[in-house]
Amino acid sequence: MNRDYQVTAGAEVHCELKSKTKMFSDSYNNYGTMANTNINEIDFAYPGTLPTVNGYAVELALKASLALNCKINKKMHFDRKNYFYPDLPKGYQITQARSPIGTDGYLEIEIDGITKKIGIHDIHIEEDTSKSTHYKEKSFLDFNRNGVPLIEIVSEPDIKSDKEMVAYLEKLRETLLYLNVSDCKIEEGSMRCDVNVSVSKTETLGTRTETKNVGSIHSAGMVVLVEAKRQIEELEKGNKIQEETRRYDEKENKTTLMRIKEVGNDYRYFPEPDIPFLILEDSEIERVRENLEVLPDARRKTYLEKGISLGNANKLIQNKQLSDFLLNLEDIDLVIASNLLLGDISAYLNKTEKTLKETKLTQEKLKDLVKKLSSGEITNKVFKEILTELMETEFSVQEIISSKGIETINDKSYLIEIVNKIIEGNKNSVDDYKSGKDRAIKYLMGQIMKETKGSANPSLVNQLLLEELSKR
Amino acid sequence: MSKYLDKSIVEIHQLLKKKEIYPIDLVEEAFNRIEKNKDLNCFITLNKEKALKEAKELENLEVDNLLFGIPIAIKDNISTKGLKTTCASKMLENYEPIFDATVVQKIKDKHMIIIGKTNMDEFAMGSTSRTSYFGAPKNPWNKKKITGGSSGGSAACIASRMVPLALGSDTGGSIRQPASYTGIVGMKPTYGRISRYGLVAFASSLDQIGPMTRDVYENALLLNELVGRDSNDLTSAWREEEDFTRLIGKDIKKMKIAVPNYFISDIVNLEIREKISDMITLLKENGATVDFIDIDYIENAVTLYQIIAMGEASSNLARFDGIKFGYSIPNPESLEDLYRKTRAEGFGKEVKRRIMVGSYLLSGENAVTYYNKALQIRDDIRKSFQKAFESYDLIIGPTTTTIAYNLDQDIDDPIKSFLDDVLVIPVNMAGLPGMNVPIGFSSYQMPIGLHIIGNSFEEAKMYQLASWIEKKLNLDLIPKEGESHES
Repeated sequence: MNRDYQVTAGAEVHCELKSKTKMFSDSYNNYGTMANTNINEIDFAYPGTLPTVNGYAVELALKASLALNCKINKKMHFDRKNYFYPDLPKGYQITQARSPIGTDGYLEIEIDGITKKIGIHDIHIEEDTSKSTHYKEKSFLDFNRNGVPLIEIVSEPDIKSDKEMVAYLEKLRETLLYLNVSDCKIEEGSMRCDVNVSVSKTETLGTRTETKNVGSIHSAGMVVLVEAKRQIEELEKGNKIQEETRRYDEKENKTTLMRIKEVGNDYRYFPEPDIPFLILEDSEIERVRENLEVLPDARRKTYLEKGISLGNANKLIQNKQLSDFLLNLEDIDLVIASNLLLGDISAYLNKTEKTLKETKLTQEKLKDLVKKLSSGEITNKVFKEILTELMETEFSVQEIISSKGIETINDKSYLIEIVNKIIEGNKNSVDDYKSGKDRAIKYLMGQIMKETKGSANPSLVNQLLLEELSKR
Repeated sequence: MSKYLDKSIVEIHQLLKKKEIYPIDLVEEAFNRIEKNKDLNCFITLNKEKALKEAKELENLEVDNLLFGIPIAIKDNISTKGLKTTCASKMLENYEPIFDATVVQKIKDKHMIIIGKTNMDEFAMGSTSRTSYFGAPKNPWNKKKITGGSSGGSAACIASRMVPLALGSDTGGSIRQPASYTGIVGMKPTYGRISRYGLVAFASSLDQIGPMTRDVYENALLLNELVGRDSNDLTSAWREEEDFTRLIGKDIKKMKIAVPNYFISDIVNLEIREKISDMITLLKENGATVDFIDIDYIENAVTLYQIIAMGEASSNLARFDGIKFGYSIPNPESLEDLYRKTRAEGFGKEVKRRIMVGSYLLSGENAVTYYNKALQIRDDIRKSFQKAFESYDLIIGPTTTTIAYNLDQDIDDPIKSFLDDVLVIPVNMAGLPGMNVPIGFSSYQMPIGLHIIGNSFEEAKMYQLASWIEKKLNLDLIPKEGESHES
C-alpha cells in the first residue's frame, strides 16, 4: 500500500442488551422464538400506545459506559429519529441523539506489546428495528426484534490499521461479554458493526465511507485494508472520494457501493415527548460501578501472577464460564485448577454438551480437589476416575473416593515393601540411577504405581524410593 | 317518554339505588335521544348492542358508586377495545383497538356505560369539528352553527342532553372551546393528571383528556374517576388522591383573581367582553379581588403552538403507513407507492397540511430555528404564568374570541382555526388546568363561556369558583327544541 497515506478508521458497534424485556415495552426480548410472538400493541405501534423505559437495560448501558471509561450523562433524554421504513412501526426510532448515556471514554488495546487507547465518542441507548426478510417479490416482517434494547458504541477515528480494528473489536466484544451486557453474537445479529474508513496524505482527515453490517471481526479488519486500498487508488487516479455507504463482499474481498449519502440526511430529530428526563443518581452510578464484573485485563494479570502460562490465561479468558469459576479462588493453586478446567473438565463439558452451571461441580468441590491433588492426597489418575461422579453427583471428593473404594495408599511399611520389590526386580535401572541417569527414577516410579494400581501417594513413593536407593 | 336524563346524576343515582329505575332505562333513553337528534351528527359509532347488554348485566350488581350505570360518550380518539376508534379519519375508518385506553378501563371499572364514540375534527386537528371525515356535528343551540372543536361531538351530545357525561381531549383548547360554544362545562386538567395511554396522539406534550358535562359538580365527579399515575404513561403525574368536589359550595370571598389584559383586548367579540365585564363586577361585589395584569409571551402562544403541535403531529402520524392497521391501498406498485397513496387517500386535507408543515419545521436546521426555540419560549410562558400564580388564586377571561359561527363560514381559511383558540392555547403551552363554564348568551341566544385557569394541580379551586358562578347565574342551559334562531 502507498505509504504516503495515513489510514484512519472508526467503528460504530450496535450491541443488543441482555435484558429480559424490550427497551420500551414489557414484551420479551428473546432471540430465536417463532416470528411475531414476542410482540404487544406497543411494539406494533398501535395508535395511543406509549413507551415505558426498561430500567435494567439502562443499567446495562450504564455498566458498559463505566467499563469503557465514559463520562456519564446524569440527566438523559431520548430523541426521536424519524424515517419511513416497514421495519420501523412507529415511523421513528427512539434513540439518544443529544444526551447519550456515556461520552468521552476509551478502550485500551494492545498491539505487539504496545498499549494504545482508542477513544469512545459516545455510547447511546436505542431500540432495534424489526427484521425484514425478502423472498421473491414479497417481504416479510418479524417484529420480535422490534424494540430490543441496543447500545451503539461510536469510536473516535483513532484506529489506524486493520490490526488495530481487529484488536479494538475483539477487546470490545470481550469486555461486553464479561460485563454480561450483551451476547455479542455477530452471526445472530446481537453485535453489528459498521466500519468507517478514510485516507489522507495530510493531517486533515479525508472523506470517509461507511461500510455497513460487516459480518465478522476479521472482516472488519479486511474492510479497513481493502477500502483504504480502493480509496488510495481512486485518489491516485485523480478521483474524489464520495461520502457513501458501502457493503463488504466476503467472497470477493472487496466493498461495493450501496448508496450515496444524501446531503444532510434528514431524520428530523426532536426530543421524545413521551419520555421525561431520566435522572441517574450518583449513588446509583456508584452502586453499578462497585458491582462491575472483573474485566479480562484484570483477570489475565492475576492468572499470570499466579504462574499460569499466557496461553492458558488467554484460553480461560476466552471461555468465560471457566474464568468465572475461578473468581474468588485465588488462594488455591491456580495452575492446577486451570489445568483441570482446561483439560479433563472442558473435555467432559464438550462430550456431554453441558455448561459448567449444568453440572454438580461447585467452587467448593474444585477447591477441595485442587488441595488434595497438590498435597498428593489423590493422584491425577484417581481424579480421572472420579470425574464423572464429581460432575454428576452432589457428593464431596472424599465421599466419592470412599464409595468407589479407591483410597490413596499412605501406609509406609506397605509401600516400602513394594518399593523394595521393584528395586530388586529392576537391577539395571538401579545401576542406571547410580551412574547418574535420572530418567531411571521415572521408570521405577512408574513400575511402583503400576504395582499399586495407581493408588499409592506419589510424593510419598518418591520419597521412599530415594531413601531406599540411597541405602544401596 | 321518560326524562331521567334531564335529572342530575345524584338524583339518578338515588333512583337506581332504590331500584325505581335500572341502567337499561337510562341507556334506552340515551339511544332514543340520539336517534331523535340524529341530524346533530354527534356520534361516529354507537355501542348500542353492547351497551344494552351491559346495562342488563348491571342489574345484578350493587349500585356502588355515584357514576354506576350512567351513560357516557367517548371522543373517538380514545381507544376502546373492540369498538371502532376512527379519529374521524378515513385512515382509521374500520380500526378496532385491541386494548382499552387507561381512562376507558377506569370508566368500565366504575360501571359507567359507554354509549358511543363522538364526532370530532380528524385526529383532533381543527377547532370546528368540520375536518371530520364523517361530516361536522351541529350546534344544538342552532343547527346552522359549528359546535367548535375538536371535541365537537362530545360537546354537542352533552348540550343536547343525550348523555350526562362525555370525554374530550384538549391539545390547544379542544375541550374548552366547544364547551363554550355549546354552553357546557369542560375541563382540561393539568398535563399529567390523566393518563394519555390509549389516546391517539396528536401533540404528545400538549394532549390531555378531560371531562365534559352539564354542570360543574358532575364534572368534578367524573374527574375524580379519571385521574392517577399510570405505569403505562411516563408523563402521568404521581399525586395524592383528592376529591375534586371538596371546595364546591365554599364561598369565594377573598379569592384573588387576575384577568390578563390580552384576554379582554379588542381581539375579543364585544358581546363577550361585556359578559366578562359583568362577571368581573359580580365577583368584586361578592368579595373577590380582581386585578388586570400582563402575562408575558402569551400573545406568542399560537405561533409556538403551531410549531410544537405540528412538529410532534408529523412524527406521531408517521405510523399510519398502510402496513399494520388502518387504511391501505390495494395492490401498491412499490413500497413508496403504498406510502404515498395510502397517506394521500387516508388523511384529510387539514391533517396533511399539518404533517407537511410539521415535517418542514423539524427538517435540518429548522429544528433549531423553530422547534428548539419554541420549546424555550414555551418555558418562558410557563414561568410568566407561574409568576402570576404567586399573587393570584385563579386567572379568568373569555374562553373564545367569538361566538359559534356558521358551519360554512371561513371554511377555506386554515389560519382562522388557530385564531379561534388564541385564548385557550396558552394554557396547554404552560401545562396548566383550564376550564369553561357558561356565563350567558349572546343576543342571538348562543352560549358564552368563562375561561378559568388554575395553577398546576389546583383543579379543585377552579371548580369552587365555577360552581359559585353557576349557582349565582342559574342559567337555563337546555337548548330549546324547534326554536329557530337568526344569525
